[in-house]
Amino acid sequence: MDLIAGLIQTAILAGGVLALAALGEVLAERAGVVNLGVEGLMALGAITGIAAVVAVPSPMLGFALALLVGLAVGMVFATATVIVRANQILCGLALTLMGTGVAAMIGKAYSGIPAPATFPPIAIPLLSELPLVGRALFTQNILVYLIYLVLPFCIHHLLFRTRHGLDLRAVGENPAAADAAGIPVRRIRFWYVSVGAAFAAGAGAYLTLAFVPSWSEGVVAGRGWIAVALVIFAGYRPWTAVMAALLFGLITSLGFVGQARNWPIAAPVLSMLPYLGTIALMIVPVLAWQKVRRLMAAPAALGEPYFRDVR
Amino acid sequence: MIDIRNLSRRRFLELGGAAGVSIGLSQAGLTGVARAAAPLPAVAEEDAVIAFGYVGPTSDEGWTWTHEQGRQAVAAAFPKAKSIFVENIPYSADASRTFRQFVEEGAHMVITNSNYGDFLYDVAKNAPETAFLHCDDRTMMDNLGVFYPSHWYPSYITGVAAGVMSKNNKLGYIASFPVPTSFTGSNAFLMGARSVKPDATLQVIVINSWFDPQASTQAARALIDNGADVLFGIMDEPGYLQVAEQRGAKAVMLNTDTRRFGPKAYVSSIMFDFRKFYVDQVRARLEGKWTPGQHLLPLADGTDRDAWGETVPTEAAKAADAAREKILGGWSPFEGEIKNSKGEVKVAAGQRMSEGDIYNWNWSIDGVSGL
Repeated sequence: MDLIAGLIQTAILAGGVLALAALGEVLAERAGVVNLGVEGLMALGAITGIAAVVAVPSPMLGFALALLVGLAVGMVFATATVIVRANQILCGLALTLMGTGVAAMIGKAYSGIPAPATFPPIAIPLLSELPLVGRALFTQNILVYLIYLVLPFCIHHLLFRTRHGLDLRAVGENPAAADAAGIPVRRIRFWYVSVGAAFAAGAGAYLTLAFVPSWSEGVVAGRGWIAVALVIFAGYRPWTAVMAALLFGLITSLGFVGQARNWPIAAPVLSMLPYLGTIALMIVPVLAWQKVRRLMAAPAALGEPYFRDVR
Repeated sequence: MIDIRNLSRRRFLELGGAAGVSIGLSQAGLTGVARAAAPLPAVAEEDAVIAFGYVGPTSDEGWTWTHEQGRQAVAAAFPKAKSIFVENIPYSADASRTFRQFVEEGAHMVITNSNYGDFLYDVAKNAPETAFLHCDDRTMMDNLGVFYPSHWYPSYITGVAAGVMSKNNKLGYIASFPVPTSFTGSNAFLMGARSVKPDATLQVIVINSWFDPQASTQAARALIDNGADVLFGIMDEPGYLQVAEQRGAKAVMLNTDTRRFGPKAYVSSIMFDFRKFYVDQVRARLEGKWTPGQHLLPLADGTDRDAWGETVPTEAAKAADAAREKILGGWSPFEGEIKNSKGEVKVAAGQRMSEGDIYNWNWSIDGVSGL
């Protein structure tokens, strides 16, 4: 029983990183901009978080600073992709290379040092005493509650229940029509790309302040790419993205449980699970769910810079 | 993530090489098996250049840091000699270039960790006037000696304490790669625990890295979820100590004292100290008496347990220290009958494993699973 509870607890903790980054990417992609810089942003957030708590032992401050760094870098990326309208794919790849490189350089001094302060688990009264899943579900740190309950609810509401969300989706689907309707295309794209980048950096800080918790080069380990893949798999929907992230968290923690329980699978194969899972999740829906493909489709103008004068 | 820097530090190849090399090691108590080579000529201290090559950064508070302490001891003992060092030497042609540069700078002795294999041999072959000391290796030449701390003794000693402290009789071990160091460490640890709890078992998780906090912490969580209450491992960072601290388990560490990262969970650490060995070796080189040897630094003289953690009960510390005294008195815990994990008798009753056999251990004893 402890094993199942432990599995769920680790899955939730591991999935949180992906969920937060994926939610940020949902915002950016719904507005029509592909941000492939998530991996680099997460690295920057991770090193910002650890550097901040080494200086001042407050995880909240570290997380907030990471969000700010993400927002600032995101604004640079948005300037390039939305204002200057450079190629989004290339800008994203550049951001990933730059982010991981800069983080590795700054991180040399912090390598292997455990975070002096981390987000402590908060036990919710009564619920945390439920048998079997109580501890796993309701003794988590504050970010977990935020990422799994508050944020997807807010983003879902914003996207599908408000006028502003309709504008946002319109910008992603058909910027020319949105522009004609008087929706400020560039402004919406600029800010949602920036906020999405802040989420990605926050996910990095979550990694070093709540999950690992310490910095090492390559600590992000491809999670940024997995988050990008999850968004596509989730059909650009916040709740689905969070659930997919949780599924991934489960796959990741299964690898270690498998070794602990002596499953007859080679250790390197078990460590491959998250990446194999990514590939599977990309292929299976295409084959199995032909009918819902329309629902899962990407925003029509995704990845296309919008030029008003070449309509 | 596999970190290339660490990937091959104590390589897989050891597994294959182990059998062949052990012929050369089978003398008992082999501290310093000398080769039949003439010593290199003496060097005046003010002319001497001693070079050190490190696999990691000296700031790592772990493996490379302990070697850097050794270099500083050499610099203090021979203040007129020049000592140079290079950190983060990768496993590539760059390693050969670095060693060759040492030789070109006139190094009389090159001390390096660990396991650079051909990258080092090629340079050593062409620099017969330079003495080389290579950590955790099995190949010797006329100007190339090898050394390693006999970490299995403190692993056994801390295993005794772990046995006393474990309530579930389940231990956990976080291994890097299936290399002799991992086999020896996990086997010795469980043998120590079984000396007080005969039905204790040890579960291993292999994470494919020497330095990967996120894998080691997840492995630690899985081991604790699975019932392990004392963890041990071969990691260059204190990730699993923190997990143990959070989850109310205990942890034995490696390299250095990391108790500040988990004061309640900290049991002890397998400590390394290369200072005296390095100074002795450099002195022999300067005096013209150096010949290559295989040096396994003995217990209490290059490797030992750290001071016990604050939550280690007296009876655990006592039992472990009694074992330590016995080992120092010449007793070996590595005596038959020892079965492997399939139940086959590998060391017959009454037979004692040689230091070389322990150094090259490549099978798990009964009770160890996962390696």
